[in-house]
Amino acid sequence: MVITYRPKSLMEALEAIEFIDYTVFAGGTDLMVKRKQLAGLLPSFDKPVMFISDLAELKQVTIKDGFLYIGAACTFADIIENSLIPEIYKEVFMQIASPAIRNSATIGGNICNSSPAADSLPLLYALDAALVIENSCRRAELPISDFITGPGRNILNSSELVTAVKLPIQSFEKTCYKKVSSRRSNALSKISFVALANIENDVYKDIRIAFGSVAPTVIRSLDIEEDIITMSSQHALDINQIARDYATLIKPIDDQRSTAFYRKEVCNRLLADFLGNYAAASLQL
Amino acid sequence: MINEITLRLNGETRTLDVNPLKRLLDVLREDCGLSGIKEGCGEGECGACSVLIDGVFMNACLYPVGKAEGKEVITIEGLVGTENYEVLKESFEQAGAVQCGFCSPGMIMAAESLLRKNPHPTEHQIREAISGNLCRCTGYNMIVEAVQLASKRGEGLW
Amino acid sequence: MKNDISTPVKREDVSEKLLGTACYIGDLKLEDMMYARTLRSTEPRARLISIKYPEMPLGYFVVDRKDVPGKNIIKMIIDDQPYFAEDIVNYIGEPIALIVGKDKTIINELISKTNIEYEKIKPIFSIDERHETTTPIYGDSNTFAAYRLKKGDISEARAKARYICEDIYETGYQEQFYMETQGVIAEYQEGKATIYGSIQCPYYVKNAVVECLGCAPDMVRIVQATTGGAFGGKEDYPSLLAGQAICAAIKVNKPVCLLLERDEDLEVTTKRHPSRIKIKSFIDENHKILGMDAEIMLDAGAYAGLSGVVLQRAMFAIAGVYNIENIKVKGRAIATNKAVSGAFRGFGSPQAFFAIEMHMQNVAKKLRIDPLQFRLDNILKQGDKSTTGGVFRDKILLHEMVARVMEMSNYAEKKRSFQGSDNQKRRGLGLSMFFHGCGFTGNGERDHIKGKARLIKNEEDIVEILIANVEMGQGAGTTMRKIVSAALDIPISRVMYRNPDTDRVPDSGPTVASRTTVIVGKLVYDAAVELKAKWQQGVQQQAEIEYQYPEGYQWDNESFAGDAYTSYSWGVNVVDVEVDTITYESEIKGVWAVFDIGKSIDDRNVKGQIDGGIVQGLGYGAMEVMENVGGRFKQRTSADYIIPTAMDIPMIQSELMCEPYTEGPFGAKGLGELSLVGSPIAYAMAVEDALGIRINSIPVRPEFLMEVAENDKRNHFKTKR
Repeated sequence: MVITYRPKSLMEALEAIEFIDYTVFAGGTDLMVKRKQLAGLLPSFDKPVMFISDLAELKQVTIKDGFLYIGAACTFADIIENSLIPEIYKEVFMQIASPAIRNSATIGGNICNSSPAADSLPLLYALDAALVIENSCRRAELPISDFITGPGRNILNSSELVTAVKLPIQSFEKTCYKKVSSRRSNALSKISFVALANIENDVYKDIRIAFGSVAPTVIRSLDIEEDIITMSSQHALDINQIARDYATLIKPIDDQRSTAFYRKEVCNRLLADFLGNYAAASLQL
Repeated sequence: MINEITLRLNGETRTLDVNPLKRLLDVLREDCGLSGIKEGCGEGECGACSVLIDGVFMNACLYPVGKAEGKEVITIEGLVGTENYEVLKESFEQAGAVQCGFCSPGMIMAAESLLRKNPHPTEHQIREAISGNLCRCTGYNMIVEAVQLASKRGEGLW
Repeated sequence: MKNDISTPVKREDVSEKLLGTACYIGDLKLEDMMYARTLRSTEPRARLISIKYPEMPLGYFVVDRKDVPGKNIIKMIIDDQPYFAEDIVNYIGEPIALIVGKDKTIINELISKTNIEYEKIKPIFSIDERHETTTPIYGDSNTFAAYRLKKGDISEARAKARYICEDIYETGYQEQFYMETQGVIAEYQEGKATIYGSIQCPYYVKNAVVECLGCAPDMVRIVQATTGGAFGGKEDYPSLLAGQAICAAIKVNKPVCLLLERDEDLEVTTKRHPSRIKIKSFIDENHKILGMDAEIMLDAGAYAGLSGVVLQRAMFAIAGVYNIENIKVKGRAIATNKAVSGAFRGFGSPQAFFAIEMHMQNVAKKLRIDPLQFRLDNILKQGDKSTTGGVFRDKILLHEMVARVMEMSNYAEKKRSFQGSDNQKRRGLGLSMFFHGCGFTGNGERDHIKGKARLIKNEEDIVEILIANVEMGQGAGTTMRKIVSAALDIPISRVMYRNPDTDRVPDSGPTVASRTTVIVGKLVYDAAVELKAKWQQGVQQQAEIEYQYPEGYQWDNESFAGDAYTSYSWGVNVVDVEVDTITYESEIKGVWAVFDIGKSIDDRNVKGQIDGGIVQGLGYGAMEVMENVGGRFKQRTSADYIIPTAMDIPMIQSELMCEPYTEGPFGAKGLGELSLVGSPIAYAMAVEDALGIRINSIPVRPEFLMEVAENDKRNHFKTKR
């Protein structure tokens, strides 16, 4: 029988995983689907399971040194209901799955599951989120884009936990979040798009653009963002050029939810719409 | 290491000798004989297995019982007999919110969970609150009306 | 004062459903019950060379074709589908055997350790391959049913036509997605087989099991468990499960439970037939439709199932609500190596109405005339003849219904304000008109079903309704109780209805084809009238009525001539959508509907059927995508097969108009299927209207709209250059 373990503190958890390779179980909304067997049968876990969703240390939302720290075991419902969280962030979390899933699924779980379709990830990429990673003797911070390496893959090793997400507290004048899916609730995204910008005198001073579900990991390009700022400062924003640049990164697939063509096209259009006005932009790729 | 799980189930303290990885859904149906909770998909998509865990609305099919240690679990059977249930039941009956009935216990749990947090929800908030509970018979509108009716009728209860 | 029968009453089934005490098949536990799981083909088409099972532990069994005591063929219309594969498998998921035992974990292991050696046969996946194949799945032409229908003289219409317009339409799969998956429990004791199940048609299952066991009819008993939705999906498929489970119960000498998992149910059970429909219409200079030449092809899947009857309904509906005097229709149900297509609310009619309504709209656009006016000018009226030459005897209220639905939806003003909007979000309106023929098609009620209903009164003067029709959510139990209570003039609390048990109830026919209220309700009504006439207080009495084909109607099944149905219900739907031209996602902003279902037996149940049918139809038209590639469905989990949630649907405004059917109970007609037929069409038309494009297939996916838009843009640039 697979062993389960409920540590009472974060330290207990970190000490336990130092020696034993556990399947770390937070909200479980992805894990339980992946490990599902027939009705009435035990889900198929092959390693000891550690439940961490009740660890108080992982459920804090705090502000420290101008950064917002969201504990890894905060559920999306916790985050939506927390007054420290800026509205634009909440807008993203509110569109994840369904109420019951949001009550269970955690931000840390969504990150560590590292699905290309994970709904929280484009926002976290756009915000330059860092992850707090701990083992029993060390605590480190790592940008999220360095953490996730491929679909379902990341660099976390078995003696470490992601304990918090660190986000800048920043306001953006122009924001866009769009989740494209087959229905209005309880749906996996076909495409997700986050764009955040600050503009002064019609010139982009800061812009962050991230695409989800259209490549093995979330797409964000600092180079293209810099080009946008440069073009914008010269009042020569070439939306077609920018779209072409992103097109080299956006590599969607045909699957049971949508088509590569549609995903690519919607990315272009959302991008063009954010940067200018889609109708006016009339892309010619 | 835990094998014995102690939890409060519908107001009663229960100690269960089960595998902690067993789905709460199966524990409730098989070990506790509570058949009001249904399995419609086993993937957290349909909400037929909705329960309240420490007052929070959850899918029991995605919840290993080991996580429920020390918590309070309420199923439809636990709600039955309360004044809230009576109001919900009457409203569901009157609005015609029940057809095949397979989603109904889950829908009641969703409605109870919503009204606890928000006794006077808007139509949109009701739709949002039941959006993880699929129903293939009613087309939802009579369920939305039932929750509106319960909100009105149960004034002061939630 | 007596209540009007339309006034809602409390349903007898709701209380226990809310309490959670209603007993669905998954809640039923028999002593010593064993579980069964199906070993399925992983090949779309192959010869079974060998099956190597692991050694069965004590108490675990393989049940396969060798364990069928009678015929290893499921009794349906054509004898082609086995309970367990013989030497050939014809679709991915086809059952080969059951593994039966106490512990599901062990069963699962045994299945995963079973090795099947196949010799592949070239599969047929598309209805187009029919012509090329040298190895048909069925018959010589790979066709389960091929029919022709003729009315008037099509060549004359062709000769006289000023305009000829031809279109092709396609519709996709739709999965019933009842919330409760399919399942049965079978028990065999002292030579008697009992099946408990989530079913629509107890006697279909009974007749199938009798042949499967080769036993006397009275040795088989079918009991309906509370059924968690069906929508046609539990019309034909439960016969397969019941036959398999009873063979297993006999072999292991214990009750056997066979429940499908959701993913399994999605992948292997019957679905709505995908269709391709070609319509060519001949129109004169006054824009009157002189004739129509149509061809309907249904993708039937691997076995015949009910495809022939579905095809007939599609063919008879192909002229829609229009009076077309000269008609030629060819129909084919084609075999493919995919899961079997079967019954689904509407039964061929949604496909046909989609094609004709979209076609009429398109013809008008081509002729540059107002589409709605053109449609109304060609509409059926009382005394006109149906596609099969039957006379529409009752008044047809379509003009009034259209006027009312336009008023309710503020159609004219909306239409004006939506026009020429060049915003990122565009609004559009669609209006569909449709009917549904109530009861079985053609000679079904008269020659095949011959339904019987019985009432029994006990010494306490409690009347019990004995019919084989099931309550599956639609409110049949309450409807029947109301009819009996009103006819006997006794309180409804003195009328009982219980889930049917074939040892107790006569065969009043299956719970399908929008027949329960109009046909069985009438039998029950007539029985009540008979009982009333001989009523003696405190005495046990009964009354039984057998179906009589109403006078003045006629049908010839060879030539498809006459009254295909004895009554018709009608509907008009308006849908208002907003389409985002960046993503081509649509939001349904409003739905309005007017129906003529004769007398409503219970307004609340009726609204439940209307709302539920409309939303299922919107799912069919807008979002329910099921694609099959290489014999495998791409959408095979509940996360990937998408049905509407409460967030996808606005409030639906509906009203009733009433042209009673004299042969129906209190003038009632059918409703169950009608409510699904119109909404996908109105939705597709609304999207057409919003974007100014042509839609010739459903579901209308954003992916499709994007391709159309991008093609247009490319062509636009090309012509510019």
